[in-house]
Amino acid sequence: MTAKADSFIVDGKLALPYQYFAGRTGSRFLIQLRDQKKIQGLRCQTCDKVFVPPRSTCVSCGAKIADHWVEVKNTGTITGHTVIRYEEPHQPVKPPYILALIKLDGADTPLAHIVKGIPLTKVRTGQRVQAVFAKKTTSSILDIDHFRPLEEKPKIELGYSYEALEVGMSASFTKTISETDVYLFAGISGDFNPMHLNEEFAKLTPFGTRIAHGALPQSLIAPVLGMKLPGLGTVIPEITVRFRKPTYFGDTITAIGEVAEKIDARKWVRMELRWLNQKGELVAEGSCLAIPPVPLG
Amino acid sequence: MGYRKKNRHVGIVGIGTTKFSSHREEVNQPEMIHEAVRQALDDAGLAIDDIDCVLHGNMELFEMVHQPDLWHTLGSGALGRDALRLTTGGTTGGTLVGAADNLVASGMYDTVMAIGFEKLQEGHTTGGITNMADPLWARKLQSGALTDQAACKLIAEFGEERARRAAMTYRIIMDQHACKNPNSHRAFGLSWDQIDDLMKTSPPLIGDLRLIHMCSQSDGACAIIFAAEKKAKDITNWPVWIRDHITVHREETLNLCNNYYPTATTHRFAAAQLYARNGIADPLAYFDVFEMYDPSAWWGVDWLRDFFLLEGDAHLRLVEERQIAIDGRMPINPSGGVLAANPIGATAMVRVAEAAKQIRGNAGPHQIPKPVRHALASSFGGTMWTVLFMLEKELNWQGV
Repeated sequence: MTAKADSFIVDGKLALPYQYFAGRTGSRFLIQLRDQKKIQGLRCQTCDKVFVPPRSTCVSCGAKIADHWVEVKNTGTITGHTVIRYEEPHQPVKPPYILALIKLDGADTPLAHIVKGIPLTKVRTGQRVQAVFAKKTTSSILDIDHFRPLEEKPKIELGYSYEALEVGMSASFTKTISETDVYLFAGISGDFNPMHLNEEFAKLTPFGTRIAHGALPQSLIAPVLGMKLPGLGTVIPEITVRFRKPTYFGDTITAIGEVAEKIDARKWVRMELRWLNQKGELVAEGSCLAIPPVPLG
Repeated sequence: MGYRKKNRHVGIVGIGTTKFSSHREEVNQPEMIHEAVRQALDDAGLAIDDIDCVLHGNMELFEMVHQPDLWHTLGSGALGRDALRLTTGGTTGGTLVGAADNLVASGMYDTVMAIGFEKLQEGHTTGGITNMADPLWARKLQSGALTDQAACKLIAEFGEERARRAAMTYRIIMDQHACKNPNSHRAFGLSWDQIDDLMKTSPPLIGDLRLIHMCSQSDGACAIIFAAEKKAKDITNWPVWIRDHITVHREETLNLCNNYYPTATTHRFAAAQLYARNGIADPLAYFDVFEMYDPSAWWGVDWLRDFFLLEGDAHLRLVEERQIAIDGRMPINPSGGVLAANPIGATAMVRVAEAAKQIRGNAGPHQIPKPVRHALASSFGGTMWTVLFMLEKELNWQGV
């Protein structure tokens, strides 16, 4: 007993041991799982339903179906899911983990089990999964260790379609421009203008020091348009830029693209473009036309 | 008492009982329940869709399953039907029958199926029972269901030799009945020449309560279907009518704050009330059979006095003269009673089922060899609960 000022609290713990008789039907399911790595269900011929876990009488019509075994696939579809975050001694794996209802291919009822290999926030109803059998048997439902995402052909990812794009959507990319960047860009473009490469020469220019090629910060809009917005699969047929301020070595440039207009006739969008430095100064501005990705093949 | 006459008559139209056993590994809980349900439906010639409401009962903590009715729908047939779960301890089976009687008599449902079950081998009975006691005053002192209170009482009143011999006589008669009942869990084939040995050699449990005196823990299920008079007559040619039932309990028994033990038992109180309102002056003359919830041979002997409102040693003489045997003047538990099988949530319901089968005349090898028209069936629960039933073959009942 613990005392709390003038009120006792009786501390107690009850041990309630128990067994559970699986019965012949439940046991046969486990034996097949353990010895054959096969998942079986019981089928009601009247209702045309296959029960996994097996039920010796049909849940709908009450008919005896304990002899009507059928094999179902070890692949299935998630019909419901949750994430277990609290920890209890009886749990087979350490939380957090995904607990899902999985309707196996060939079954009409879902089975509860653990799903691994999917980020906790990405699990969804309709996801295809596959049973992973345990290496060591426990003669229990944990002879299926867990389910993992079914391997499917890798999908080609695409950015936002024209329909998905809305005016006002924006994206950006930020990078610090170093001396190396400038020297490499000189090599790429063939522009070895001494105002980019020769500090003593550059001291004599209105900028007083070396500056980056204008096209170098400008090129930072490419990852925005091609990889973010509209994203993968985008084609840019036109881009116009007006340079406002030089980019010095060590400046951090943010390139921003924003959808300004949807052109229904062509299913293109017009985007406003801006480049800002670390002081928030406008380095350049412009606009472009973008052809958002269309399904390939 | 808030007792009112029934709105309409209620008949038992279908009975199903599983074989009782120490353990049933080959079936899980819903599968075992389904055996009784299927048997009761077949007995009544009904389909599950003919049932309006399903009642379900057991001792929840005994199998460590919470809300067992929910997943037992797989075997109970309650899917998509009105359903209730009831738990009142040992009386659960009797409470289920009483509730079914009330639900049908009231007009709420025409056809009700009640299911009592237990799979005691799967659980830990004493753990469950201990949990019943008050945590502050009694829980850590609780010892479970066993007591030699009835033995002490009988020995104090009638002396060691007479009391012990009466309890063992009762026990052997019950075993002889159990041997006739194919559903029995325990049927030893005890004979009269063993009586002196058993009184000395059976392992003592508490005081004069010995292992042989005590009921078992069993696995099994019972299902009974009830119907309103008109429907009952359509369903079957041999409905058994529930004339009346009474529930009496004094749960303060375990609440030690009050610190007294009831002087009048709930059994005697229930019997007196029930007979008075039905005009039964001489219950021993009126009833043809009594299926008693007798958890031990000692209680069986002691409670005969309460249920038949006897005085002095009349109850002892009933036992000593073997008048309680299947062919005696007042056959007690031709099924073998609770000493033959004790699947707790079903046990009290089995008493009603067995009494009803005696009236129908199809009890099987343990059918009483004389016509049975009036039957009595009792239920007992740990905190002094009594549910007592009067069953009738005909609807033209009157007092005696």
